[in-house]
Amino acid sequence: MGLLDKLAEFLGIKKKEANILVIGLDNSGKSTIINQLKPPEAKNHDIVPTVGFSVEKVKSKNLSFTMFDMSGQGRYRNLWEAYYKECHGIVFVIDSADKLRMVVAKDELDLLLEHPDIKKRRIPVLFFANKKDLRDAVSSVKCSTLLGLSQIKEKPWHICDSDALTGEGLHEGVEWLTDQIKDLVAGK
Amino acid sequence: MANYAEGMKKPDDEGLPEAKTKWLDAYHDPVASLYTFTQCLALSDIHADGDCKLIIADLGTGSYNMKLKVYKNTNLLSEHTIIDLPTGVVTFYMDVLEPRTAAIAVASGPYIYVYKNLRPYFKFTLPPLEVDQLEQDLWNQAANDDINLFVLREALDTLRLEGKTLTVRSLRFIQLEANDLENFVNLHKSSPLKRQTVITCLKTLKKSMADEDAISCLVLGTENRSIYVLDPEAFTVLSTMELPSVPVFISVNGLYDVEYRIVAACRNGCIYTLKRGTAEGAKYTIELNSQPVGLERINKSIYVGCMDETMHCFTSKGKKLWTVKLPSSITTMETMDYKPRAFAAVLVALNNCEVHIYKEKYLVDVIKMPDVITGMKFGKFGREDGTLVMTTRGGGLFVKILKRSTVFEEKNLVSGPPAAQNIKLNVPKKTKLFVDQTLRERENAVEMHRTFQRDLYLLRLRTARDYARALENSMNPISSDPTEPIKLSAQVQGIGPTFKLTVNLQNTSLTIPSSNLVVTFDYDNGLYSFRKTFIQVPMLVPGLNYSFETFIDCLNDKGISDDIKVYVLKQSRSIPIVTGVISMPVSEGIVVV
Repeated sequence: MGLLDKLAEFLGIKKKEANILVIGLDNSGKSTIINQLKPPEAKNHDIVPTVGFSVEKVKSKNLSFTMFDMSGQGRYRNLWEAYYKECHGIVFVIDSADKLRMVVAKDELDLLLEHPDIKKRRIPVLFFANKKDLRDAVSSVKCSTLLGLSQIKEKPWHICDSDALTGEGLHEGVEWLTDQIKDLVAGK
Repeated sequence: MANYAEGMKKPDDEGLPEAKTKWLDAYHDPVASLYTFTQCLALSDIHADGDCKLIIADLGTGSYNMKLKVYKNTNLLSEHTIIDLPTGVVTFYMDVLEPRTAAIAVASGPYIYVYKNLRPYFKFTLPPLEVDQLEQDLWNQAANDDINLFVLREALDTLRLEGKTLTVRSLRFIQLEANDLENFVNLHKSSPLKRQTVITCLKTLKKSMADEDAISCLVLGTENRSIYVLDPEAFTVLSTMELPSVPVFISVNGLYDVEYRIVAACRNGCIYTLKRGTAEGAKYTIELNSQPVGLERINKSIYVGCMDETMHCFTSKGKKLWTVKLPSSITTMETMDYKPRAFAAVLVALNNCEVHIYKEKYLVDVIKMPDVITGMKFGKFGREDGTLVMTTRGGGLFVKILKRSTVFEEKNLVSGPPAAQNIKLNVPKKTKLFVDQTLRERENAVEMHRTFQRDLYLLRLRTARDYARALENSMNPISSDPTEPIKLSAQVQGIGPTFKLTVNLQNTSLTIPSSNLVVTFDYDNGLYSFRKTFIQVPMLVPGLNYSFETFIDCLNDKGISDDIKVYVLKQSRSIPIVTGVISMPVSEGIVVV
C-alpha cells in the first residue's frame, strides 16, 4: 500500500473493500436483494435463477462490498464452501413464506457454521427473512426460532424482515453489516 | 427355496443413532384427517411454476366426504368433491400447449375425472361391457310386461348359477324382497341394460418421447380382468389387454409407440408381464406364495411385497433373485428415485410404524414414525427434490426432506454375528461337595450299585403289592376295569362349617357309555352331615365331564377334620368301581359374637 493510498483512506475518499457471501436456498431472493442494493441506473429488470454464481459490486457508506451471489439450487450448494475462506461477512437469505423448507435452510446453516473455514472465525452473519409481503410469511422472530439462531454464540448475527421487491428492510440490514465489518477491519 | 438375505435380522436401536438421521422433519400434522393410500397420492408441478403441489385423493370415511385435495407448500390450495371412492390419482401431460401444465386424473368407479388447472375438464367413462343375450331378452320381456316377476327372478338366478356375469341391475333384483320387486322393475325397465366395470389401478405411460414433460397415455386396470391404454388427447382406447385375474398393482415403463412393458400384480397372487403387441395374453408369470401388497419396479428388477411379511425381488423375466424377511407386515411400498445422487431404492412401510429403505437387498435406513404409514410418495414437493410425503392410518400428514449431505451406504445397517451368539449358556457350577461325592462314588462303586439294586427290588415288590391291594378294593380314582372306564375327581370348596363338595365324573372310553352308576360317600357320622348321601348318576356319554354337588355341614366346632371317601358304584355290585379320598379342611366354625 503506497503512501498515497493511505492518505486517501485516511481522508475517507478510497473505500475499504469487503467480500460478502450471499447464500440461501433457491428462490429465496438473493439476486433480487443484491439487485435492489445497486444504484438505480445499474439495476436489472429481469432476475432469472442464478446458475453457479455471479459477482456484484455494491457500495455502502464507506465500504465497498464485493457480493458473491451464489446459486441456491441443490446441485450448486456445494459450491458455497469454496468461497468461505475469503469472505468477511455472510448474508443468509430465507424465504419466510416457505415453511416447508425452513428445516432445509436450518440444515444448510448448520453445515455452514460447522465448516472449518467458518467455525473459528468471528464473521458477522446477516439474515434476511425475505418476502415479508407474502400472506403466509412468518415474522423474523418466528424465523429465528425455527432456524435456532439463538444457538449461535461465537458470531455476531442479526435478522431483519425484508421485502426485496420494494427494498424495504434491506438498508437496515446492510448498515448493521457495514458496522460489523468496519469493526472487524479496524480491529485487525 | 427362498434365499433369505441378511436383512431378516431386526435392526437394533443402537444401530441407528439419532444424530445420524438422514431426514429432516419438514412438516408434521398428526391431525390432518387425510385418509388415503399410496395410489391416491401424487406430486406434480400442475401450475408450471417450478413449485410442485401435493395432490391427494382423500377417501374420507369411505362412503362420503371423498375429496380431491391439492396442497401448495403446507397450505390447502383447493378441494374438489369426488362422487365415488377414488382408486388412483396420476398427473400427466395431455397436450403440447405452453406453459406445460399437467392434468390430474382421478380414477373413481367406472370413470376417470380429468382436472386441468384445478378445474374439472373431462370425464372419461369406461366402454360398457357386453350384456348377456338371455339376460337382455328377459329384461325386454319385463319391459313389455310379458313375464311374471317371480319367473324373471328365477330365470336370472339360474343364469347367475350357470356362471354368467350379470349386470348390477339383475344382481340387485335377485336380492330384493318379494314386495319390492314390482317397484324396482317399474323404475328401471325402461332404461337400457348395461354392464360396467370398475377401475382398480391407474398409471401413466409416455407416448412417444421419454421427456419429463412428454405426453403420456393413461393405463388402467379394471375389475373385468383387462388393461386399457387410453389416448391422452382424444380419450379413446388405444389398446386392450386381457389378464387371467383382476389386476391390483401395475407398473408401467417404456414408450407406447416404441416398446413398453406392463407388470401387473393380480388378486390371485400372480404377477403377469405384458409387452407391446401381446394383446392375447401375459407372457411371463410369477407365482407368489401369498397375496401381493405392493409392487415396485426399479430398472429391471421387480420388487413385490407379500402378505407373509416378505419382500421378493424378481428379474423382468420372472426369475427370483432374493427374498427379505421383514420384522412386521407391509402396509405400503414406494420407489425412492433420488436423481441428484442417482440413488434408487424401495421404501417399505411396516405395521410396526417403521419405514424401511432397501437398496437392493440391503437395509440402508429405517425411519421411525409415530403411527402406521398407509400412503407414501417420494419426489419433488415444493422446490425440494428429495421429499417424502407420508400419510398415516390415523389421518396424519408427515413430510420429510432428505438431507443434502446424506450418503446411503449400500450395505446392511447391522452386520456381524447375530445377537444370539452373545448370550451365555446357563451352565450350573460344581461345588466341592460334588467333587467329594464323585470321589466317594469312585471308591465304593460296587457296594453302591449292589445296595441300590436291592432297594430297587424291594421298591418294585412293595409297589406291586400296594397296586394289587388298590385294585382289589378299587381305591383308585381311575377305573381299571376295561368295561367301566371312568375317571373321578372331587374337590371341596368353602371355609365351613358348610362345605360344597363337587364330584366330577368322566367316561374315558371312546364309544362305550356307562349307565346305572351311583355315587355315595363314606364319612364319620359324628363329624359331618351330608345333605345328599346318595347321588344317582345319569348315563355318562364318553368324553363329557359331569359334575355332581352336595353340601356337607361340619358338626364339630373343635377344629377337627377327617377324610371322606367318595365311591362310584355300579348298581347290583358291591365293590366300588372307583374311589376318591378327600381330606376335608378344618372348619372355621361359627363365630359367635
